[in-house]
Amino acid sequence: MASVSEMYDVGWEEMRDKLRKWREDNFRNSEQIVDVGEELISEHGSKLGDDIWIIYEQVMIAALDCSRDDLALTCLQELRKQFPDSHRVKRLSGMRLEALERYDEANKHYDAILQEDPTNTAARKRKISILKAQGKSTEAIRELNEYLEQFVGDQEAWHELSELYINEHDYGKAAFCLEELMMTNPHNHLYCEQYAEVKYTQGGLENLELSRKYFAQALRLNNRNMRALFGLYMSASHIAASPKVSAKVKKDNMKYASWAASQINRAYKSLKRFVKHLCVTNAINYIHFSNRI
Amino acid sequence: MSGPELLLDSSIRMWVVLPIVFITFFVGVIRHYVTQLLHSDKKIDLEQVSDSQVLLRSRILRENGKYIPRQSFAMRKHYFNNAETGFFKKVKRKVIPKNPMTDHSMLTDMMKGNLTNVLPMIVIGGWINWAFSGFVITKVPFPLTLRFKPMLQRGIDLLTLDASWVSSASWYFLNVFGLRSMYSLILGQDNAADQSRLMQEQMTGAAVAMPPDPNKAFKSEWEALEIVDHKWALENVEEELMSRDLNFGTFFSQDRTCTMF
Repeated sequence: MASVSEMYDVGWEEMRDKLRKWREDNFRNSEQIVDVGEELISEHGSKLGDDIWIIYEQVMIAALDCSRDDLALTCLQELRKQFPDSHRVKRLSGMRLEALERYDEANKHYDAILQEDPTNTAARKRKISILKAQGKSTEAIRELNEYLEQFVGDQEAWHELSELYINEHDYGKAAFCLEELMMTNPHNHLYCEQYAEVKYTQGGLENLELSRKYFAQALRLNNRNMRALFGLYMSASHIAASPKVSAKVKKDNMKYASWAASQINRAYKSLKRFVKHLCVTNAINYIHFSNRI
Repeated sequence: MSGPELLLDSSIRMWVVLPIVFITFFVGVIRHYVTQLLHSDKKIDLEQVSDSQVLLRSRILRENGKYIPRQSFAMRKHYFNNAETGFFKKVKRKVIPKNPMTDHSMLTDMMKGNLTNVLPMIVIGGWINWAFSGFVITKVPFPLTLRFKPMLQRGIDLLTLDASWVSSASWYFLNVFGLRSMYSLILGQDNAADQSRLMQEQMTGAAVAMPPDPNKAFKSEWEALEIVDHKWALENVEEELMSRDLNFGTFFSQDRTCTMF
């Protein structure tokens, strides 16, 4: 099994920088992190200096995702040796217990952390994810609500709550959570689009109008959002087809729907051209390659 | 009355002016590091964190409320500002005025502050006064009245000497305040060697991290939220969208690689 550095011809500095980029952008590509990180730690551990501790943490979480318990345990033991009293490390050992499905022990772990430091948000969030993992979504929702009463600014938590509500089909409350997210991130087209989808699912004329507006907003923020384009088409045509609207509203919505449809057609035409172009270039490369052998 | 121009020995410049500058600067740097060593972590209260986040949420509502529907904005404004059940009206935090004499942590903080800032200043100032006495250092570029003479011309009892000529002690104090910007250049912002900021804090009262009265903060936030109106940013969004062209030309780019590096 060739090592990462051999396969991609990269040095250890590039591997370390790649890991940092993944860490900062919050990527969840755990298998790649495990491959790159494991090699970096085992071969080039001494050259990393103090960076190695945060890489241990990153690789450990990725290893738990890929059920590499051996690697996770080694990383955890190194971190425990270096930082014996750290709450952050205790949270990691709690996560390992969660991965092994020993939920009661993990809960005790997190309770101990909260005893010492009641403002520790990470431990409280882990307890909520234990409830979610055990399938107790109503309790998870309740705990998350209590958490959010105290820490109103936690955007990750708002998003998680909106997901839980969507799973429970409580679209009104999910929309509330998404509104919080839209206020704090007004330029994020994904929140606009998700909000529009929730409103569309709720149904009813006003909700459809709202969803159409927010699909349009998502498109305005990001021209390439195909889901929003389709959503705009669907909501506009839905409103136009509804029997209770006035003639003017019908006309406007049909205009929007036809505009959206024409944009979709354009997008697919350019895709066809691109695919043709790609096939041609690949064919040429292949001919070159086979000629060289 | 302006006296004749004095010509100062150039060795004064080399052996007095510059050493005082260096001494002040290095003492300031040492003060900064000593303060960092003696610094103790402040314990954060859960309620304080929660309050600050609520205030932040209310501020965001005021600023970005135009991105959410009118109904939702009204709902949130009602939650905060309603006359009987609103958060800012209902919640009153118990404020314990921090008495410096009885509150132990504040006492130690004050002592540490005094030790690291006031004491060196007195010591060094006195030493400079003793070591470099009996002659004038420099002339300040603006004319001063006679009342400044005993303050700025320690140890020199010449009645006819212009008050603009100052002694070494005043040069020292000038340096203490003047080197502030140098400190921020070298030690970064918010450094402990910045003496004048500390003096300002002592003048305005107790310097505490959180606003000492969350009730006041709530009240001002309530007032600010009352006057805000909801102007929906999405009124004409479809027209604005359709007037522009979604450029699909660069939609699919050639160099989309799916490999790691």
